[in-house]
Amino acid sequence: MKLSIYRFNPETGEPPRMQDYDVAPAAGDKKLLDLLMRLRTADDSLSFRRSCREGICGSDAMNINGRNGLACLTALEGLKEPVVLRPLPGFPVIRDLIVDMTQFFAHYHSIKPWLIAEEPPPERERVQTPDERERLNGLYECILCACCSAFCPSYWWNPDKFIGPAGLLQAYRFIADSRDVATAERLDFLDDVYRLYRCRTIMNCTEVCPKGLSPSHAIERIRIALLKRSS
Amino acid sequence: MRLFSGQRAWLVQRVSALLILLLLLVGGVLLLFGPALDHARWHALATGVHVAPLIVLFFAALSAHAWVGMRDIVLDYIQPRALRLAVLSAIAVVLFAVMVRVLLTLAAHFATSL
Ligand code: SF4
Ligand code: SF4
Ligand code: FES
Repeated sequence: MKLSIYRFNPETGEPPRMQDYDVAPAAGDKKLLDLLMRLRTADDSLSFRRSCREGICGSDAMNINGRNGLACLTALEGLKEPVVLRPLPGFPVIRDLIVDMTQFFAHYHSIKPWLIAEEPPPERERVQTPDERERLNGLYECILCACCSAFCPSYWWNPDKFIGPAGLLQAYRFIADSRDVATAERLDFLDDVYRLYRCRTIMNCTEVCPKGLSPSHAIERIRIALLKRSS
Repeated sequence: MRLFSGQRAWLVQRVSALLILLLLLVGGVLLLFGPALDHARWHALATGVHVAPLIVLFFAALSAHAWVGMRDIVLDYIQPRALRLAVLSAIAVVLFAVMVRVLLTLAAHFATSL
């Protein structure tokens, strides 16, 4: 199988380049990540992140044939050759396919991704009705892989000020939580030309999420919540 | 209202879009039916007491809509502060001039016909 992979090593001082590989998948190789692991036994200078190899840790997000995805969830079968692999677009490259996620996580932390509840925890748990719990479906499953934010043109232009689809999905996850008491402060924080309203509803985020989530829908819900509050 | 509230601009954009659409439909219907579209008909339509306010409303909605849209594009693509300010002012001046022109034209007509 033919691959063309973005290579960059900051220590050599050379500009980034695309390197061609030709590697035969072994019998058990089903996903792109399997092939990358095989490739690395031949060329151990090739750098990429991975951990769980089953779509849970979110560390092997990369741009695969022009589309962001997780290597571990991308089937080898049907991939157009040569498979072109690049680091997540718009993110600073540390080395090869490894990008700097500092800003991405700073945005995530800015929305206070934790439950804010003033009452002391009850003896067992803060209970929810099945309906209230249902509202968190499609929100809590996010693995923070950044495929969406790195595919969002608005995030490419303003990565320092726009929170991006991943952070906004999480913001809504806590706004929607019946146990959270900080909804008003959360909405205050988001009502900003940059943080929330840079989103132009291009919907690349929803289109590309490897977990099938819909950040653009969550963003719409935040806008509706803001609208309801001010009317 | 907070200065950098994004919600107001977002609302203005949507409401003005609806207004523009609605007024275009009304205008389309007015133009489709009735006598031939010559200069006399255009003139009569545009200066009718019912249509003139709609024309002002249409241009107001159009200016508001264009302002939010252009501002968004500037905020995305033009990062240097001075340049941004210059481009935004230029857009504001043009939109304002269009509005003034529409108002003046109609005002001139109604002043002479009084
Ligand atoms: S919303 Fe989807 S694409 Fe975005 S970070 Fe979460 S799991 Fe990844
Ligand atoms: S819908 Fe919004 S957040 Fe999602 S890709 Fe488009 S601009 Fe980005
Ligand atoms: S290796 Fe964990 S998500 Fe792919």
